[in-house]
Amino acid sequence: MSLALIAALPFLGALLPGLLIRSGRTACAMVTGSVTALALLGILLHAPAVLRGEVIQTRIEWLPALGLNANFFLDGLGLLFTGLILGIGLLIILYARFYLSSKDPMGQFYSYLMLFQGAMVGIVLSDNILLLLIFWELTSLSSFLLIGYWKHLPEGRQGARMALAVTGAGGLAMIGGMLILGNIVGSYDLTVILTQKEAIQASEWYLPALILILLGCFTKSAQFPFHFWLPHAMAAPTPVSAYLHSATMVKAGLFLMARMWPVLAGTPEWFYLVATAGLITMVLGAVIGVFKDDLKALLAFSTVSHLGLITMLLGFGTKAAATVAVFHILNHATFKAALFMSAGIVDHEAHTRDIKRLGGLRKLMPVTFAIVCIAALSMAGIPPLNGFLSKELMLTEAVETPWAGNAWILPALATIGALFSVAYSFRLIAHVFLGPVRDDYPHKPHDPGFGMWAAPAFLALLVVLIGLMPMTFAGDLVRATASAVIGEPAYVNIYHWHGFVPALFLSLLAVGGGLVVLGLHPRLEAGWNAVPRPEAKAIFDGLVEPFARLSRRVTDWLHDGRIAGYFAIATVAIVAAGYYAWSSTTAGVVTRDLTPIAPVAAVGWLLLMGCTGALFFIHRSRLVTLVVLGVVGLMVSVGFAYLSAPDLALTQISVEVATIILLLLALNFLPKADAEKITAGRGFRDLVVAGAAGLGAGALVYALMMRDFFFPTISDFHLANSYIGGGGTNVVNVILVDFRGYDTFGEIIVLGIAGLLIYALAEALLRGGPANDRLLSWVPDQKRAGDRHPLMLVIATRVMLPVALLVAVFIFLRGHNMPGGGFISGLVAAIALVMQYMASGYGWTAARQRVDYHAMIGWGVTIAALCGVGSWLAGRPFLTSAFGYVHPPVIEKFEIATAAIFDLGVFLTVVGAVMLALASLSRFAVRAGETVNTAPFDIRPDQSPASVAKEGH
Amino acid sequence: MTSTDFNTILPEFILAVFAMAALLGAVYTGKDRTGPLLMWLTAGLFLLLAAWIGLGGGVEHVAFGGMFNDDGFARFAKVAILLSAAAVLIISKDYMVRRDMLRFEFPILIALSVLGMMIMVSSGDLMALYMGLELQSLALYVVASMRRDSARSSEAGLKYFVLGSLSSGLLLYGASLIYGFAGTTNFAGILSTVEDGLPLGVLFGMVFMIAGLAFKISAVPFHMWTPDVYEGSPTPVTAFFATAPKIAAMALLARLMHDAFGNVTGDWGQVIALLAVLSMFLGGIAAIGQRDIKRLMAYSSIAHMGFALIGLASGTAFGVQAMLVYMAIYVAMNIGTFAFILSMERGGQPVTSIDSLHMLSKTAPLQAMALLVLLFSLAGVPPMVGFFGKLYVLQAAVNADMTWLAVAGVVASVIGAFYYLRIVFYMYFGSEGEGVDGRIGSVQGAALLISALVMVAGIVNLFGVEALAQAAAETLVR
Repeated sequence: MSLALIAALPFLGALLPGLLIRSGRTACAMVTGSVTALALLGILLHAPAVLRGEVIQTRIEWLPALGLNANFFLDGLGLLFTGLILGIGLLIILYARFYLSSKDPMGQFYSYLMLFQGAMVGIVLSDNILLLLIFWELTSLSSFLLIGYWKHLPEGRQGARMALAVTGAGGLAMIGGMLILGNIVGSYDLTVILTQKEAIQASEWYLPALILILLGCFTKSAQFPFHFWLPHAMAAPTPVSAYLHSATMVKAGLFLMARMWPVLAGTPEWFYLVATAGLITMVLGAVIGVFKDDLKALLAFSTVSHLGLITMLLGFGTKAAATVAVFHILNHATFKAALFMSAGIVDHEAHTRDIKRLGGLRKLMPVTFAIVCIAALSMAGIPPLNGFLSKELMLTEAVETPWAGNAWILPALATIGALFSVAYSFRLIAHVFLGPVRDDYPHKPHDPGFGMWAAPAFLALLVVLIGLMPMTFAGDLVRATASAVIGEPAYVNIYHWHGFVPALFLSLLAVGGGLVVLGLHPRLEAGWNAVPRPEAKAIFDGLVEPFARLSRRVTDWLHDGRIAGYFAIATVAIVAAGYYAWSSTTAGVVTRDLTPIAPVAAVGWLLLMGCTGALFFIHRSRLVTLVVLGVVGLMVSVGFAYLSAPDLALTQISVEVATIILLLLALNFLPKADAEKITAGRGFRDLVVAGAAGLGAGALVYALMMRDFFFPTISDFHLANSYIGGGGTNVVNVILVDFRGYDTFGEIIVLGIAGLLIYALAEALLRGGPANDRLLSWVPDQKRAGDRHPLMLVIATRVMLPVALLVAVFIFLRGHNMPGGGFISGLVAAIALVMQYMASGYGWTAARQRVDYHAMIGWGVTIAALCGVGSWLAGRPFLTSAFGYVHPPVIEKFEIATAAIFDLGVFLTVVGAVMLALASLSRFAVRAGETVNTAPFDIRPDQSPASVAKEGH
Repeated sequence: MTSTDFNTILPEFILAVFAMAALLGAVYTGKDRTGPLLMWLTAGLFLLLAAWIGLGGGVEHVAFGGMFNDDGFARFAKVAILLSAAAVLIISKDYMVRRDMLRFEFPILIALSVLGMMIMVSSGDLMALYMGLELQSLALYVVASMRRDSARSSEAGLKYFVLGSLSSGLLLYGASLIYGFAGTTNFAGILSTVEDGLPLGVLFGMVFMIAGLAFKISAVPFHMWTPDVYEGSPTPVTAFFATAPKIAAMALLARLMHDAFGNVTGDWGQVIALLAVLSMFLGGIAAIGQRDIKRLMAYSSIAHMGFALIGLASGTAFGVQAMLVYMAIYVAMNIGTFAFILSMERGGQPVTSIDSLHMLSKTAPLQAMALLVLLFSLAGVPPMVGFFGKLYVLQAAVNADMTWLAVAGVVASVIGAFYYLRIVFYMYFGSEGEGVDGRIGSVQGAALLISALVMVAGIVNLFGVEALAQAAAETLVR
């Protein structure tokens, strides 16, 4: 049977129970079992060939770009594990049929179980490490579902979470190790990787890969310091514990270590990491196990201990030790699964697993007693059972292996581990089955039916058979497996009597010591309970809690909702990015000289700097800020003028005035919440950040300006072509209305839309709704000035209006050849009009204003568009300008350019947009309770204040 | 504009005309009453365009003198953008109608932002890049603050706008520096000028542009807006934020880096790698402390962007392919997850607290199972499809000799797995308490289940996405 099919069978089998559960529980179990049996048969058919040393392979392309292929292979190691997974799986299915109560949803249980079985078979058959990874994590997922099967048990929760978190995280870490391994070798196929020992161990990435892979193995196999999750996962139904936590899933880590043994083992790193972890786990698990009263917890810690033993053997890195490890994997699976199932029987019958509430079951449950006796004695390492054989061999290996040059540490600690192992094994027999029959069991126990004890009895039989005739029943399998692990034909000869070797004495010491510990158990237990110990939950929480705290601290620090803080982070990052750019390149030689600094320029520069710096201190006061901003804008305008750009200077100054006035109006309506007090530290930090950003930007510009540009500047082109092509000597204006007329056309549309938008927003606000309510309830927080429309200002603006408009016309007309143009003149006109509103009040001015600003914007855009379309009529592209000269009588030669019509459109749009924005904002004030004046003055100059007041009444 | 130009941008043109026609039509007819209809129309148009672009195939076109590319890469990204945007509209309609927050502008703004994204991923010029980016961003600023009567929604929109403007400014500054030193805004032109190393100005420009774009994909340290905006925006808007714009910005970044700076991968690979590492770790660590699922998804998306950036950082065609595969998978997962988040309610009111998911497996076993699959997939646990995305980007890093980056990615994915698994834990082993009690809508339920099924069934061949992504990546990286 194809290996891919064997790996797929359990997954197909996972679908069946759900479909068949309606036809009865036995049918369901039988179908599930027969699928497993079929897969087992498929493996057994390959067994003879594999035992001869052949390797069976199946290859299917999956995602070749990733190096991920559904390749499977079966060698001795795979055979041992598939045999264990499927064989014990079959027994578990049988056992679970009788174990689960009629209330439990059995179909679901079998589905999850088969899913898990498929994942396990996949791990051990994979010939592709990425495929292996997928199956690896699938076991975490399906085991989570199985552990969570009994949702009603509260103690299961923490266990399930820890199991998932620890094994899942370990598996993810392993991805990294596998990728590195694949990169070193250039292939993700195990059969290729296993031949590349030298390349892998010579690579500088060997240690990171080893650590990442071992993280996966140690978490899965519950090795120190990740041993804590396994006992807590025992809240699962017993068939699950027996299958996952003794026979299969926890062995996946061992499997992988054995699988990778040929390429990873044999280095000091491997020895100290693996052997040490295994040794600590073995001793720790055994000691804790002795003091557990929960039957399953005791077995769980004994499992931890035995897994440690096997890990330690693999860690030794010698071929003999690896062979012993393989043998013990087989032995442990047989006796531990039998013990788990027996514990389940006790729990099922007596309704408790508490050793303190049991005892004397020998007479009530003779069959179970017999099974437990055999299995537990094997676990204790009593001859002639199979546990004895592998423990002797383990002690032999320990004696022969020095640790950090010390020959005593390993044998001593291994003996202590074995000693406690003997203690808990005997305790299991003595405290549960021996002693007087009690009359206070929660439920009167008796032996279950054959269906339930058949599975453990079969395993107990194996324990005896392998123990009595190891070479007959296990020799070939162990040889084939060990050969696969060490990568060359292994020599296997297992027998009972090795003579009076150190291992025998150590073994005797362990048995004797174990009996002593058992005898002293009550007193030791009192001492044990008095000593504070780290609880698994506490360890886990201790691992998780710092992360949670770190997380909270990070989020509190970074995301406190203050936008200023966000800006600070972004600014720091940008400055850092700039520094990176600066430091990773050379700027080239300085090719320009610094121009001499005139005193006037220096004064302007100082003003600019001073005002910018002052912003830092006074930005909480809005009016002063506006004043300072005005100075900054003014200095920029003056700078333009100083650097011979009068056009820009004019534009800048008119834009400055218009925006400051609009800002003044808009700020009036913002709530004046009390400014947040910032601490001196934060103020200093902000200063540093802002200073770094500003100085950095300045330095960058300085560095760029001190070097010649890569290309000739574009100014030359415009200077050369502005008069010839556009008929104007003012290059800026020619660019605006001619060369880049398209842009200007777009810009005035945007400007017009902006004006309309402000109007639309104001409309929406004034229509009713929460925002309007707020507006209506708005109370000015500052006392209004008594004289809102000062006499002087009114007179001045009134006189200025015609002059200003005339100036606007003048600037408009001269624009094409001299500084000026439609945009600037539009702003000048708008400012002149705005001043009327400011000085004489909204009502008075609005009553005299006859032009509709909407229409003004519309006309502006339309005129500009028509001007552009006009050039189509002349057969030229859109917005091509033409110019010519006329000589009207009386006045001098006069230039007429179509660009002037376009400029008119610009003018109208600018005036319309600015005025519309202003009018819209003013409406808020009216709405908010401000009286609309009809007179230009608050105080009538021709009357005394008293008589005005009287008139008012 | 020649007829070739016009034919090349025909899908974009149709979308633009649709958006404007829909806007005018809705204003002059039923206004908000046309909302549901417009949602369906827009989603339908998206699907049609996706089918057209995706199935059309054909040769590469370059329009407007190199400003606009219609190549395999752009088509892949466009199909992903259109499909995910359509899916978000479809799962959101019900939610918005029931809460009386469906304004007719919503689908139109989404259409406009999708238009911007399509221009972004096709751009072959700094001008087109900026135009697409701003069209997209402006529409997003507005939808983020769509609930004007909600202070949090307004705050979200304002924060997004202010920080977004900063990034746009930075991007423009970078673009103008590049123009100043390369003498052209055309990507191909820039590429030819930087052959013998980057001049100072171009390097600064490139770094600033990366920073500006990093803001759009919410890569650390330009991510600060993300949690606040995700949490404050209405959930359908959050769902949209988490999907289509991310693909667009990521694709744009890839296009800029490869089309304009493809011959100096060493200069930007390290910068992108740094962004990737910071994003993965900060996203993972910060998510652990979150109690609000929308905020959690914000950090989750930050971390996911970090992973996608790994692919880009490797600077190879395989890396781009990995990035595209990752983004496609990421979007598919997020649609399902947000379909569920949209359905979370208690007593008729939407809830977003993670605590309301306790024992969901009892009240809604199917949903819990689907969400479990999605969360495992988000965590990158095999065999869910999310794992393949991670595997792709990690392999890209390893193949490009950036093993340290792959190892960092692995460690970050371990941290990240923690908070997804915590939700799973709540659903299956949580304590009894006030859980969600609403019934999931049929559309949302279908989206959740389909998304979960995709995460499981996709392991067969990833629905062929990898081959498409490979073809797309090869048109970009030559």
